[in-house]
Amino acid sequence: MSARTLEINGRKVSVLEDGSGDPTLYLHGFADVHAVTEGWMPFHDKLMEACRLYAPAHPGCAASDEIEYLESAEDLVFHYLEVIDALGLERFDLIGACVGGWAAAELAARHPEKVRRLVLIDASGLFVSGAPIGDIFMMSHPVRGTDYSELRAMLFANDDAPAGHTLFPNGRAENLEDELRRYQMLRFTNRFGFNPPYFYNRSLRSRLHRISAPTLVVWGESDHMVPLAHGEAYAAGIPNSNGVKLVNGAGHSPQAEQPEATAGLVTGFLTG
Amino acid sequence: MHPVQLFCWHFMAYPHLPEDFDEKYDTGWVTVPNSLWDSEKSRGLFQDYIDQLAYADDLGFDGLVLNEHHQNIYGLMPSPNLIAAALTQRSTRAKIVVLGNLLPLHINPLRVAEEYAMLDNMSNGRIIAGFAPGGGPENYNYDIPSVTSRERFWEAVDLVVRSWTDDGPFNHEGHYYPLRYVNPWPKPTQKPHPPIWVPGSRSASTLTEVAKRGYCYFLSSRSHGGETYKAREQFSKVLEDYGDTYHPFRMGILMSAYVSETDAQAKEECEEGVWYFLRNCLKGHLRKEGRQLTFGAGVPYIPAPAWKEFLKHSDPNRSMLGDVNDWDELDKAQSIVVGSPETVHRKILSLIEKSQVGNLLIQFHLGNMPGELALKSQRLFATEVAPALREDSARVFANAYPRMEETLAGGAVA
Repeated sequence: MSARTLEINGRKVSVLEDGSGDPTLYLHGFADVHAVTEGWMPFHDKLMEACRLYAPAHPGCAASDEIEYLESAEDLVFHYLEVIDALGLERFDLIGACVGGWAAAELAARHPEKVRRLVLIDASGLFVSGAPIGDIFMMSHPVRGTDYSELRAMLFANDDAPAGHTLFPNGRAENLEDELRRYQMLRFTNRFGFNPPYFYNRSLRSRLHRISAPTLVVWGESDHMVPLAHGEAYAAGIPNSNGVKLVNGAGHSPQAEQPEATAGLVTGFLTG
Repeated sequence: MHPVQLFCWHFMAYPHLPEDFDEKYDTGWVTVPNSLWDSEKSRGLFQDYIDQLAYADDLGFDGLVLNEHHQNIYGLMPSPNLIAAALTQRSTRAKIVVLGNLLPLHINPLRVAEEYAMLDNMSNGRIIAGFAPGGGPENYNYDIPSVTSRERFWEAVDLVVRSWTDDGPFNHEGHYYPLRYVNPWPKPTQKPHPPIWVPGSRSASTLTEVAKRGYCYFLSSRSHGGETYKAREQFSKVLEDYGDTYHPFRMGILMSAYVSETDAQAKEECEEGVWYFLRNCLKGHLRKEGRQLTFGAGVPYIPAPAWKEFLKHSDPNRSMLGDVNDWDELDKAQSIVVGSPETVHRKILSLIEKSQVGNLLIQFHLGNMPGELALKSQRLFATEVAPALREDSARVFANAYPRMEETLAGGAVA
């Protein structure tokens, strides 16, 4: 595994990269690298068998600097344009999970020419009437000071998912750095995900038609944070997509809950 | 001589919750279902609460205190300015402290500047203008991003104060509140502006911002062990850094009291209200049971390095005020002082001596306490506790702050 730090216009961006093959940019979600774990998870190990994987930590996450003026998806897209330039990527495959998926969709809608193939995993970002995105901030306050079962129930198929207990255990995390990274991820998403609108950009839906890349929309079969209706809306709005591929036994975080099956779907699509 | 300033604080709790509330509901805040509101039982509730505050003015309290809460059973004042407006017409002497308007919850903070200026005129210059950023629950109430709420808050504070002191119209080149025309009518009665109080919970940044601007710091903690002493020490130090000097009227604290003829009678009379307050009103705020929203990862307003320190030094199993199990534990928390006039005098004087704080903001009505008991407690406090407390505290302050006379000579207390 190689970790490096990009210096972009005076700020640090921490990037993990590994594997060989077509360049693939991975934008992380909550139960994910940089947002909990320091290094790759089994899902990423599997992906990098088929591609050169680049995973930057979002601004303020892990060792990436915060961007104090960041308050919209627009700001985040411009950040990633600079990251892409710094990595020397011109045309690449793009994968995003949850808010990472939102950022990926925004990027692909603005710069369709840069994205060869697009994968959205339980992506937030759209407004779907009657299917509000769950309040992960409120669920991040434990019940009785230590009980994170409702947070796990929101991020995973159910609160007993083994991945949930590993990444979001009750009480203090054994490794304080894991808990700190979770906090940093909440701070990052609070900047633009808590400012009404809540985890969405109403304009994005009308821009999805601009995305020209073949697109795979992957969704955990029981996502309790970003309802499946959002996946269906992405699939309906992106011209070159083919419905929603469901991952059995997964909720909002198939990359953590069903790494083999999810990575299989993704690599099958990217190399197919 | 400068005696302690005694304020009567009313939170206006919702008193008609079902008896099994604590078993059935995980919070009294934000998501507590408003189907529990009983319109019939609540007829006259605000009138009773306003009467209690008006009575405190009759009794000679130095001030009446209100604050802003939303969507909860702890405090039924989404707009404290409405109650303050009523009090301007129901009181004649006491200061009216709104502690405070939650600035980030306002789309345009000039509305607060305008309403405080109206209240200052309506009360003939008796307003103390409190500003607060809002805590965790309020971030959920109005969808305020926690990460930037402090920056929003201080921009709004400075805008409001400038609108009172600089001639308008002027253009505010703000980040969160850019405004082309700032020109409030009316302007406040008090010059250069009403005294300003800002609450905090010992965070270094709030202490610094308050000290820099010369405002009064209100410690929002409800328990008064060593933390209160530490807060005063910290604030004194920060004031010195800015070439200023601490004296007791630079700071305020919140406590609760219940006074009756004897210790035993006091306990018996207030018991139901106290436990209703601790178990129900504090659930979601200062209680480990249920889901506590006041502080935590879901309202990530403190920077990551400070959060790391918090993780290292805090115990997630720690109990809070609302978790106390019995009267002994409650007594140790030094939050709610209950007893005969002698007992209450002794305990509060000891707190004054230790904390050296000159603004005591005292909550008399707790939870579902019947109005007549709150009135009686206020009366006994005013007639049998306050006189000696004023005399004793003036002596304490005169000894500890021999030069306070000069410091205060130029301006109003508070």
